[in-house]
Amino acid sequence: MNAIEIIGLCKNFTGKRMTKIEALKGLNLEVARGEVFGFLGPNGAGKSTTIKLLMGLLKPTTGLSRIMGVESSQTLSRTNVGFLPENPAFYDYLSAEEYIKFVGSQFGMEANLLATRTEEVLKRMDLWEARKRHMRGYSKGMVQRVGLAQTLVHDPDVYVLDEPMSGLDPIGRALVKDIILDLKKQGKCVFFSTHITDDVEKVCDRVGVINNGQLLVVDSVTNILQRGIEGYSVLTISPEGVQEENYVGKDELQFFIQRSLQNNQSIEKIESRSKDMEAFFLEIVAR
Amino acid sequence: MITIIGITLKGIFRDRVFQGIIALSVLFLFIPSAASLSMRQVTELSITLSLSLISFILLLLSVFLGATSLWRDMERRYTFSVLSLPIGRSSYLLGRFMGLTLFLILTSTFLGVLACVMIKVSSSIYPSDRPIVWSLLVLTLLFTTLKYILLVGVALLLSTVSTSFFLPIFGTICAFLASGVTQQVYEFVYSPSAEKLVSPLIKMLVTALYYFLPNLSGFDLKVNAIYGIPANFTGLGVTVAYFVAYTAILLGGAAILFNRREMK
Repeated sequence: MNAIEIIGLCKNFTGKRMTKIEALKGLNLEVARGEVFGFLGPNGAGKSTTIKLLMGLLKPTTGLSRIMGVESSQTLSRTNVGFLPENPAFYDYLSAEEYIKFVGSQFGMEANLLATRTEEVLKRMDLWEARKRHMRGYSKGMVQRVGLAQTLVHDPDVYVLDEPMSGLDPIGRALVKDIILDLKKQGKCVFFSTHITDDVEKVCDRVGVINNGQLLVVDSVTNILQRGIEGYSVLTISPEGVQEENYVGKDELQFFIQRSLQNNQSIEKIESRSKDMEAFFLEIVAR
Repeated sequence: MITIIGITLKGIFRDRVFQGIIALSVLFLFIPSAASLSMRQVTELSITLSLSLISFILLLLSVFLGATSLWRDMERRYTFSVLSLPIGRSSYLLGRFMGLTLFLILTSTFLGVLACVMIKVSSSIYPSDRPIVWSLLVLTLLFTTLKYILLVGVALLLSTVSTSFFLPIFGTICAFLASGVTQQVYEFVYSPSAEKLVSPLIKMLVTALYYFLPNLSGFDLKVNAIYGIPANFTGLGVTVAYFVAYTAILLGGAAILFNRREMK
């Protein structure tokens, strides 16, 4: 059983003057357990709509989605999920500690375990000092960290994160990446949307690119980066000790190494020159 | 659902609504002196003023808390995080309603105690020939509270379909105003004097509105409390049954509409 299944998901909205807006056009996607999946797309591509449909906040026009085999329309589908909405907002008259405990209680956590877990996640998100303050006094970054803390408290198997790095400073972004990598080690499934390609490259197993409501491509990050290799930068040192940096084409590396060795040149460093995830993303979206 | 009730009450207290009520309740201190302006009916007037003030405060609370509670959650995007937890939308709605109901009961009790103290003070300064029937006073307070709990139901129902606070607030106020006259209008159109004046179409319309709009006239026991007139318990039983049925219909409708609502 996959952690997330999306089958022929379509969502239409009614715009001004009763015009039909197709936000999502027949989306099909499967995300396995233990997989970190990056959902890439420009603004307005349909990422948040997909996530809202997955979490039962919107109703699909056609198609369906499942979390751990349970259809999103059922409350039961949310019992093993940690969800972080885009630009999250929480009851601002509560403190972070109260809110985390409220969330934990909704998942039926036992009081002692909830207290321990609340402390753990608040400390991890660097909110321990501010835990008693009402959230109305929090910065945007702090609210985002509360959002992440509330996804972690009940230790679910599936995490759905909508733009988790949004509003965070570099330290916060690094922390989120660490958390995702840690979840990956624990065998958790993380499905997160972003438009920042660097985030995907660093933490994801697979990536899907969506634009104009259509899923354009789904592939593993390794494959994408491998395919993107254009050539190599090779640093050689001649017998006289002269360093030389050479650009070698994708298919000429073996030939270049052999020739260098024949000429008694030592090879100091080989670096691949490849298109990064951003170039890949731009290429897909521009098609 | 219990946690939602708790969260609702916490929100109301932390938004300092209760402090506002305490500030407003200072007005009760002026009741004995205001009632003394009436030469012979000081106790009666103090009961009238106390019950009217309680009614006014409960009206403000039911309209503004009822109409803004759900709307604010959607407007401030709290619903995205809360409704993505394993909470059914109906439970969430019911939790909100129960929280608001508990707060109304609490406020009503607090104001009721204050009113009793002031009525006692007034009656001890200017003793009345007619004894105060405290049980009737409590009964009046109970039915006043039920009336405003039902109004919270109206406000919540309107909140589930509205994207702004205008419809819930003004719709609830309109429903409240209409609820006080539907009985009279209904009785008038079916009276012999209106036989030739009112067309059958208007009669049908009035009948439809009479059953559709809340009828809160049966909840008003002020006259009984003021003049010590015994209450008609059969009538009160019908009013309680009406309260239960109408509130259930309101909440059922609200739950259906809220379940269908898209959280865009």
